Amino acid sequence: MERNLSLLVSTSPHLHAGDQVATAMKDVIIALMPVTLVACYFFKFNVPFLIMVCILTAMFTEVLFRRLMQKEPQLSDCSAILTGLLVALSFSAATPWWLAAAATFIAVGFAKEFLGGLGWNRFNPALFGRVSVIVFAPWLTYLNNEFFYWRVSFPGIDTITQATPLTMLQMGLPLPNMGTFFIATQGGGIAESSAFALLLGGAYLLYRKHITWHIPVSMMATVFIGTALLGQHPVYHLLSGGLLLGAFYMATDWVTSPITKKGQIIFGVCIGIIVVIFRVLLAPTEGVAFAILIMNAFVPLIDRLTKRLKFGEQKEQVISQHTVPAGTKMTVKN
Amino acid sequence: MVKTFERGISIPDYKELTENMPIQDLPQPSELIIPLRQHIGAPNRRLVSVGERVKAGQIIGDSDASVSAPVHAGLSGIVREIGSRLTQTGQLEDCVVIEVDPEQEELTCTADDATKLNKDEIVQRIRAAGIVGMGGAGFPTHIKIKPQTKVEYLILNGCECEPYLTCDHRLMLEYADEMIAGARILSHLLDDAKVIFGIEVNKQDAIDLVRAKLEKEERMEVVPLDVKYPQGAEKQLIYAAVGRSVPPGKLPAEVGVVVQNVATAKAVADAVIYRKPLTERIVTLTGSAAVQPGNYRVVIGTTLAHLLESTGGLKQDVAKIIMGGPMTGWAQKNLEAPIIKGCGGVIALTRDQAVAAQEYYACVRCGKCVDHCPMALYPSYIGMYAELGRYDLAQEWGAKDCFECGICAYVCPSHRPLIEFIRQSKRA
Ligand code: SF4
Ligand code: SF4
Repeated sequence: MERNLSLLVSTSPHLHAGDQVATAMKDVIIALMPVTLVACYFFKFNVPFLIMVCILTAMFTEVLFRRLMQKEPQLSDCSAILTGLLVALSFSAATPWWLAAAATFIAVGFAKEFLGGLGWNRFNPALFGRVSVIVFAPWLTYLNNEFFYWRVSFPGIDTITQATPLTMLQMGLPLPNMGTFFIATQGGGIAESSAFALLLGGAYLLYRKHITWHIPVSMMATVFIGTALLGQHPVYHLLSGGLLLGAFYMATDWVTSPITKKGQIIFGVCIGIIVVIFRVLLAPTEGVAFAILIMNAFVPLIDRLTKRLKFGEQKEQVISQHTVPAGTKMTVKN
Repeated sequence: MVKTFERGISIPDYKELTENMPIQDLPQPSELIIPLRQHIGAPNRRLVSVGERVKAGQIIGDSDASVSAPVHAGLSGIVREIGSRLTQTGQLEDCVVIEVDPEQEELTCTADDATKLNKDEIVQRIRAAGIVGMGGAGFPTHIKIKPQTKVEYLILNGCECEPYLTCDHRLMLEYADEMIAGARILSHLLDDAKVIFGIEVNKQDAIDLVRAKLEKEERMEVVPLDVKYPQGAEKQLIYAAVGRSVPPGKLPAEVGVVVQNVATAKAVADAVIYRKPLTERIVTLTGSAAVQPGNYRVVIGTTLAHLLESTGGLKQDVAKIIMGGPMTGWAQKNLEAPIIKGCGGVIALTRDQAVAAQEYYACVRCGKCVDHCPMALYPSYIGMYAELGRYDLAQEWGAKDCFECGICAYVCPSHRPLIEFIRQSKRA
């Protein structure tokens, strides 16, 4: 027999389940397609245009930052594409392209690559980018005026009702019919076009086992109960203001959510509480994004607090078995 | 409801390649390479020298240390060399190389009346036969059956939860009587501990056969277990079969249980009743690149090269050869390593089936490793801290309690070499 075989040598295990990061990223992108299509129907070419701008910016930013940090670009994991898509979907269709591009640049460049790349980021990049442009809004309004002529807009945009159900709720305006609201409505962010489409995508992610029910359910249940207790319409709260997008696609982000199921429930409940506080008591509309980002910061703490016992470990065992009364002296012989 | 443990994972088992193939003898090898140490514990001293004739069954290495087990020559021949040779783990070990006589004397062992032996004599026979755990651990059996604490259960491990392997399955079918006799002897040594055969339900024929044979036994039973990896890991098996948890860093005997592999039990019967030393074992040769997959009776010390040559060689596009199971075994760089007492399988894989070490990415915290870790550790954190060189923190998240079942690396979508990270953290 040939003695000089060339054999692969690697550490055990010699089997792999076949999961890839890219598969999960692609599946999230697929899950976001229904809502994207509904939005395209409402806002016409403005939606694909904004999405293209964000995705290209995301890919460009990743390559730029990784080159600057002397690392190989990692576009094949599809995470840049997903971040770009998520940033685009979190804006309204009338958003100027350069604002969305700026948010994407911050998301991928600073919230992700600058911190070490996918896996090392503490905050959800898409939300971080989205919220940054809100925080810098006054300054950006100035830019908006400066760059006014750079605006690109396609037919379809003028039909947008700027008031979202959430603002109507806050202003005491009559609400749209619940049924149409659930299936599809115009107003608010691109991803708010259809609660049904978002749930469809969420179901796909659950089915593909990329996410589990723990975060979305605990988050939505908390918002539902919280707003109901405070005398609001819980269902409208659930279906608007990016809550579903946040619950199924943002808060469930692997990298920035707790690693155990118990931690994920705590995480979801806390996000829900913060959302209720923001919406009912403080009244801004971007409550979900802020709530998730705030809780992102607590993920390492939640992981530590919910650390489970090892197999066979008992609580008491943690206490040292070698206890010595206080004040005992030790003699060291030389 | 079949019993099982918490977490773990189901893995495609590929056992259909060999599970229905009866045990066959391998043609006699012309050379044996016998590592002097095939157990956990003190190394053996060689008892033969170069040029010496050895008889089949002769002890060639032993030690005075209590945690040790002698090794024997499986066939008669002449000692050609004593020196370092490559073994299955990729490490060099002192080995006795024997040029085997082409004509072997027929070795006949006659049964003794083992009921006349006292316990010390039985333990002595087990030690003299060089019996160690044959499921891979290699812990000397005569030590394991003399625990300090009272033992209520003796669990016979017939799970064979590693994919591909079928050697224990065939042994249970073809040597059920010997295995049960061995179990009876071991139970007797453990002051009549209750005997439980833990067998995964993918071996229903073995469950049925052993059950039928145990019909009249009061203190022996079969407990069917779910097909899940690592069902055959000691702590997981104990939890599944009798519902007891062995605390970290403790031995099963401390919760009143001793576990023995089914092949070990058969070897015990051979040793005590026939005084036959452990010089052969059943090995599953399998995988997409094996020409004649099957279950073979192999003399300890037979090289991989001989095993493969005498079974039709390898397919052209062979890419990886593993000794042991696919989840915990070792990839070989050549065919020099010999079969040892704890090696139950040789798996040859073609390129499309073989996993190569590949580029890996940062942990994306998907949680899969945490969800499936049978020890409830945090492989993600262990890996991350090991990568950062913070081995103290890696240990805080459980590195030392890992028994390297391989699940975490098996599920990781970032292809992180978690077992390597864990080994580094343990050493630190
Ligand atoms: S950490 Fe150890 S015990 Fe846990 S899955 Fe990984 S190899 Fe298995
Ligand atoms: S399976 Fe891999 S990527 Fe997922 S949490 Fe564990 S180490 Fe991280």
